[in-house]
Formats: sequence, structure tokens, C-alpha cells
Amino acid sequence: MNRVVVTGIGVVSPVGCRVDEFWSALVEARSGIGPISIIPTERLIARVAAQVLDFDPDAHFEPRQSNVMDRVAQFAVVAARSAVRDAQLAIGEELALDIATVIGTGVGGQNTQDSSYFRLYAQNAPKLHPFTIPRLMVNGAVSHVSMDLGLKGPTYSVATACASGTHAIGQAFHMLRSGQTPVAIAGGAEACITVGTLKGWEALRVLSADTCRPFSKTRSGLVLGEGAAVVVLETRERALARGARIYAELLGFGMSADAGDITAADPDGAARAMQAALRDARTNAEDVDYVNAHGTATTLNDRMETVALRKTFGASAERLAISSSKGVLGHSLGAAGALELAASAIALQTQIIPPTANYEEADPECDLDFVPNTARDAPLRTAMSNSFAFGGLNAALVLGRG
Amino acid sequence: MAIVDEVREIIAQTLRVPVEQLTPDTRLDDIGAESLDVIEIVFELEEKFGISIPFNPEEGSSRRAAEEPNAAGDLAFQTIGEVASAVKTLVDAKQAS
Repeated sequence: MNRVVVTGIGVVSPVGCRVDEFWSALVEARSGIGPISIIPTERLIARVAAQVLDFDPDAHFEPRQSNVMDRVAQFAVVAARSAVRDAQLAIGEELALDIATVIGTGVGGQNTQDSSYFRLYAQNAPKLHPFTIPRLMVNGAVSHVSMDLGLKGPTYSVATACASGTHAIGQAFHMLRSGQTPVAIAGGAEACITVGTLKGWEALRVLSADTCRPFSKTRSGLVLGEGAAVVVLETRERALARGARIYAELLGFGMSADAGDITAADPDGAARAMQAALRDARTNAEDVDYVNAHGTATTLNDRMETVALRKTFGASAERLAISSSKGVLGHSLGAAGALELAASAIALQTQIIPPTANYEEADPECDLDFVPNTARDAPLRTAMSNSFAFGGLNAALVLGRG
Repeated sequence: MAIVDEVREIIAQTLRVPVEQLTPDTRLDDIGAESLDVIEIVFELEEKFGISIPFNPEEGSSRRAAEEPNAAGDLAFQTIGEVASAVKTLVDAKQAS
């Protein structure tokens, strides 16, 4: 079995589209959540989101190319290009035939869907733009990454709602480990700040009206975000041979399903995913020092995740440092797991634990060390990154120092 | 039809339980209403009565409840009688305005 390492990271995030900007915001607990400005808000109750404001499609694409792409595909391609550049990966003709590309997306081209149906139903337009379908299809993002970079190996999208990015990276990791591919481009993307999507979330009554405070007693619900993160994964052997910089080693991937409620997650299911990831990594729970939690700041998730962490880590849960990145990044659904895996890899590389932003008050029902507001230097051997999706689909990745 | 009976009808339809089993003292959790069911019931009531019910399960925090005593978290929503009384208050307020 091959060992697998992360050699490149690319992000499109509410706190910047460069890895250093992204990381410094996480470390400084500088939130990317703010008033919604990219869509009309007069019909919305919750008017905050973590938007990618620093993104000009014309700076990245010829109009002819961007015209076929939804915002979600634009995010994925820009993050993938950055990751490849960051890895200093030369993609020759032969390697291109072997590289796997796996991108997770919760829904797909939501901006296209929203604006097309608005034209159709509200404006009575007799016809839609001919690129409506290619823009909105759920594999649009991964297909554009493949086309843009000329990647011709196994390529597909993963759709597991809020766990899509984690499932995508886990799948790519296993392909590398088994020798199916020497290099993979994997991650997640979402562009879900549309009136229709926000009204849908609003109806579920889980959105916060002000900000996202994971694990804090004063938490008031989740805040949607958008963005993308893509990592370059390589066999360790290949990375060492070409002298690549290594952020972290991927050690294990675990998945599970609750087979229970469509929205309320189950601590047993979440714990089984974490346990499966530890088994896959051949790592003991005691050896994990940091968990990047799913931590959405809903009443249910944060309480459930605390129970699941205790169940998985037992007595060592007490000494575990846990943080959620969603106070800074919001919840970018299919992109979230990938952005958080990127954060976990950089945490291992820099030996810094990014804090939980916006944390105000301890909650007796969430009584672990959630690293409130201030980053911590700590010797980190092993980290875990969790994602628990609507539909009861859970995924966890375990990483070690590179 | 009295508001409480309309509320019973809506809850019976949403949870697919016989309406005869539902009394004002029936607790929603005793008849299997999970969080998403409650949210659906609130939606159906809002549609039926043309009101907006300030029910937000995420607004239960002590700090916010203290700042906004009328905010969602305080709404009593445990029994069918409590739901009906909340609906009646909102319907009355709507008619008065």
C-alpha cells in the first residue's frame, strides 16, 4: 500500500483566495461572515453569509470559458489551479492520463438554477439559455477542473451534502493508496448563496440571524458560506523523489450512515465514521491531538458531535484540542470538508491549532476543549477532520505530520 | 371550526395520526413529532392562517432570550393546546392590526 501525502493546497474562501490569507484568518479567528451583498436580501430573514467577495471571474477566465461555468465551477477551477501551482506539479502528457480528479459538491450549479427558474417562472421568459444544463449539472465543477488542467484519469463528482468535500478527498486518498493513481486532484466546491437556496434553509429554521458561534452556549444556528478547496495528493514516494513540500500525510478515511433521521445527525453514526477512520489509519484514539470538528453551531449538531467525540475518544477526549472553522468560513456545504481538511493539514505543518471563532460562553452540553478564539502552539502528531451531512452521511479523515 | 380543531387537523395530517387521538393536552413529542416534523407543522399553520410564527429552535440561548423576551425561544410549543393558543394570539394580533 502506498503512503499518501498532501503536496499542494488551493482555496477560494470568504477570507481570501490565497492559502496564507486563509490560514491567517483562521489563526486570528477573523470571521468572513458579513451582510449579504451578492444577492438581493429584501425577502430574506437571515441576511448574513460568508461570501467570497474577492473573486472576479474575468481575472481568471476568458468570457468564452466562464460563460459555460456556474460560479461553483469557477471556484473549483481557480482552487485547483492554485493547488497545482502550490504543489509545483508539472503535468506532462503521460501523467495527465493517470491523474484522478474528484470534487465534492452538495448541489451543483445553484446560481444557474436560481436565475434560470426566475426567468422562466417570474419573468415568463419563453426559453432558457442554451448553457443552462451544462452550467447546473452537479459534475460541472469536476468536469471543468478536468478540462482546464487537461486531467484525463478517473474523474467524478461526489454529492453527499455537507460531507461532499471530505468524501471526495477520502475517495481520492484510497485510489492513491491502492495504486490506482500516482497523483490526485481532490476537494470540494459550493456556491449556494442564492435567494432560492437561502429561502430553503430559512424554512428549516436553522440559520442564525447574526453569526456562527460553534459550541458556544450562545450559538444561534448556522451561517451559510461558499468557496472551494482543492488539494494535490501524491504517493509519498513520488513526492519525496521530486523533492515536493509536504503539508501532511493522509493516514485514514472512515465513512458511515446513520440510517435514521434526514436532518438530525446521530452520535453513533458520527462516532462510527471517526472510529472507522482511526482503524483505517491504524492509529489509536490517544494519538490524536487535534480534531477539526464539523461544528455547525446548530443546537443539534454541536451537542451530538460532543457526544460522538466522547464516544470515540473516551478518556482522551479530555485532552483533545477541538475547533470548528465555521465561525470564520461559515458552512460552505460541499466545500466545507475540503476547506477544513486544508486547515487541518496546515495545522500539522505549522504546529498551530486554529481556534473556534466567535466562541462566547461554555455550554455544559458541549464540555470539551474547543480552543476558544485564540490559536495555540502545540505539538501535533495526528489530526482528524469531520463532516456530517444531512441525510445521515458521515465522513472523517485522519492526517499525520508529513 | 375552532382554532384548536384546525390545529388538530393540521397536526394529524402532518404526522399521519388519527385526529380523534389528539386533544389539547397531547404532547407533540408523545405522538412522534421530531424536530423536522415540528418545523413542518409550523409551516402548515403559517400557510393556513396567514401568520408568521416566531418559532426558531436555534434561538434558545439564555443571552438572546433575555435581550428579546418575545423572541422565538420562549414560545411554548409542547402541547397541541399550547400550539393552538400561540396561533390564536397571532391570528388575533393580525385581525387587530
